[in-house]
Amino acid sequence: MEETKKLTRKDKKELKERMKHLKSGKLEKRDARVGYIFMIPWFIGAAAFLAYPLINSFWYALNEIKITPMGRDFAFSGIKNFTNILLQDPDFLVELVDYLTSTILSVPIIVVFALIIAMMLNMKIKGKGFFRVIFFLPVIIVSGPILGQLTAEGAGSISAIDMNSITSAISSVLPSMLAEPISDLFNNMITTLWYSGVQILIFLSGLQKIDKSMYEAAKIDGGSGWECFWKITLPNLKSMILLNVVYTVVFISNNDQNPIIGLIEDSMFSGAPGRGYGYAAAMAWLYTVVVILLVGLFALLLMTRKDAYEKQVKRAKRAIKKEARTRKKIERRNVRNAKRIEHQRAQGKITSRTTSREDY
Amino acid sequence: MKKRILALGLALLMLVGILAGCNKDGGSGKYVGADECGEYELVTIDGFDHQFKKYTNMTTENITLRYFNFDSDVVTQELAKIFMKIYPNIKVETTFEAVDTYNTTLGTLINNGETPDVVMTSDADYALSNRIFLDIAKYWGTDDETPLLASTINSAKIGCYGLEGHRYAVPMKFFPTAVAVDRNVLKKLSIAIPDQNWKWADMINIIKAGKQPKSLDGMEYYGLFAYTRLDSLYGIAAGGDIIGEFGFDGKDFDLSAWAVGEQEYGDLRVSGYVAPDRDTLANEEWLGDPANWSGLSGHVAIFTEPFWTYQNIWLAETEDGVTQMEANNLDIVPYVIPSASNTDEGLHNTIATMDFGGVSSATKYPREAYELLKFMTFGIDGWYARISLYNDESIVTASGTPLRTDNMPAPLTTDQGVWNAYIDMFCKGMDDEHKEHWTDFFASCMQPIPYGWVSIAGYHTACDEYFNKIGIHGIVDAGTGQAADYVDEATRKFNYYHAEAMINYFGPSGYNVLSEAEIAEYTEMKNANA
Repeated sequence: MEETKKLTRKDKKELKERMKHLKSGKLEKRDARVGYIFMIPWFIGAAAFLAYPLINSFWYALNEIKITPMGRDFAFSGIKNFTNILLQDPDFLVELVDYLTSTILSVPIIVVFALIIAMMLNMKIKGKGFFRVIFFLPVIIVSGPILGQLTAEGAGSISAIDMNSITSAISSVLPSMLAEPISDLFNNMITTLWYSGVQILIFLSGLQKIDKSMYEAAKIDGGSGWECFWKITLPNLKSMILLNVVYTVVFISNNDQNPIIGLIEDSMFSGAPGRGYGYAAAMAWLYTVVVILLVGLFALLLMTRKDAYEKQVKRAKRAIKKEARTRKKIERRNVRNAKRIEHQRAQGKITSRTTSREDY
Repeated sequence: MKKRILALGLALLMLVGILAGCNKDGGSGKYVGADECGEYELVTIDGFDHQFKKYTNMTTENITLRYFNFDSDVVTQELAKIFMKIYPNIKVETTFEAVDTYNTTLGTLINNGETPDVVMTSDADYALSNRIFLDIAKYWGTDDETPLLASTINSAKIGCYGLEGHRYAVPMKFFPTAVAVDRNVLKKLSIAIPDQNWKWADMINIIKAGKQPKSLDGMEYYGLFAYTRLDSLYGIAAGGDIIGEFGFDGKDFDLSAWAVGEQEYGDLRVSGYVAPDRDTLANEEWLGDPANWSGLSGHVAIFTEPFWTYQNIWLAETEDGVTQMEANNLDIVPYVIPSASNTDEGLHNTIATMDFGGVSSATKYPREAYELLKFMTFGIDGWYARISLYNDESIVTASGTPLRTDNMPAPLTTDQGVWNAYIDMFCKGMDDEHKEHWTDFFASCMQPIPYGWVSIAGYHTACDEYFNKIGIHGIVDAGTGQAADYVDEATRKFNYYHAEAMINYFGPSGYNVLSEAEIAEYTEMKNANA
């Protein structure tokens, strides 16, 4: 029987070097070529419509730009646009704080609402398809200018709610920085809920992928619906929740109703000295960084949450490792003791007689 | 072989197409336009008694001029057709864009190198900062019609932005501000009807007397409904050397006069003399529906409505064939904004809504573009054409209403022939007394001063970044602050923004037309008010 040899680090390095010089076969080469050909349209699209505008807008952000009928005037200004926005612009930081507060408040509401509706639509009810269409309809119809007009007409709020009482109640309890966005949220409750069409679809697809036998097993073991939701449904939808949170943040951030988008557009076409395309580009970049940080924050919050099963597995593994370490420690101690006894015996410090219980 | 020949043929065809595209303007060689308006001949067009001027120093090449505007679309298109009849070699393409998206679309066109030849503008700062307008002083100065315009256009250098020897913009539309008095309300409340030479104090007295909490019909009477705030009116009517909003004298701002009007208006509101705004609870309690407009209530003595309200609403015909005024038992007549000075006799400056525009700095045909601009806006010939369009009720707007009801402006020229024709058209169906009243009004509003955002560099930005941000109007209207408390700070701010804008727009990084002394002067002004 051939003896298997464990590779040393040096062996692995040598093998890697040898692999590098190995020529791939014709079929492999052809496959790779076809793969690249299929990727080329994406690369061209990404270079033309993503990388180029991104680089261009960053270059704009470093310049003061005037769009004149004779052409574009660029005057390099370094980070001046950024410092002006952060230190002198009276609106940007205020709007940014409002945006952050309202997004942090509305994202959980939208996601939870979408989850509830998705679970209801996943039940065995008559006209399921019709209800799904109803909830997805706002995504198709209520976009851009239509949403703006509906909001202006007051269709974004629930008319039965007495907003004045809610606002005064919230203001009496919370500081104005928090009270304002919360009462705004109540005021635009319908609009907020209209934003959940896509999220409902994502949750629905997630719910339909959950293995039904898990629910059956849980039911046999006496699990209630409530327990099934927390122990089966929610852990299985974890990745969908993250996806929906990211989608919602991005949607809210790019929405026409977002005042910062309006602010960027106004700056772009403002005649005020120092404003214009360059200033607007710098504002857009700063805003992008904030949105990325916000997405990162949500991702961090949701990704670090491990479910109970994973936690137990990890704990068990740790316990096994600990036990193995203790066993090794004991073995080593036994070896040491045996050696010591052997040494003492050789020196004649102890007789060959085996110690007996009576010696103690 | 056949395939090869076909491919070659197609390639040749494409090449010819591309080369033909390079010459789409049809020009042959570089065009050099005339430097002045020059001579003209009179031409007759079918359907018009009036003879139109055809300038002889215009190009004879076939050219296309693009006219970008937010004017009445049908009127603009019809005027363009008449212009093309006078100059058959010039094709005019008009493009209407709503005010909301105007700057965005214009910016995109400019960015794409497709700047129209004649451009209307919604605010001066945007146009000047991007150097959209060409300096047309050489045409303006040699045009025999420009001295006939309302006197303040030249004396206050409106459209010149305070610069001597330069002109960038011209008033394209003129809407005089009228103080509308409902004589039926005055009669019902036994208030004396004022005469056309009334003073500011007379108007305030009528507003105060017009407030009647209890009436026989159980509905409250108010003294004033203000679409245009009284401080805007007072700021110019205060007199002196004011030629712009917020006490602008051509160089500096001084908001002390404005503060008097602002406080007076705020006090009237706080004391309940001013009718409730639309879409408020108070309006619902008063008129039964928050959306109802007090202009048809017959319970307001004085309005500061825009000029177009008369033709668009009050004089518009109802389904019963009578005007809205008759249907609602109103007798609303226009009065000139009263002078704030008791010793002031005769004409005085009054605030007016005016839209501005100019010739694009990228146009290849500045002489022709100027002529088009003039015809479509302030020119005598253009106005004769306009009036005939307004008289022709077979031409209607997209919503099927006569052109008169589509924000019709007033002529800016003082040419008597134009005014006679205009008054005849405007007062059609009125009795002699009303027609005379309107004639007097039109004669008294010919020293117009436009709003600041279209005529003063930096004004729009100052309002945007300071005045409206603080919400001074709201504070004074609510009675929580005094206008006088803001005078010093606001004066400093507006002077700062103006000086900064002048340097930016007309200094070396802009049009580069300021002298060193002027730059030093504006720099000092900017630093002093920083």
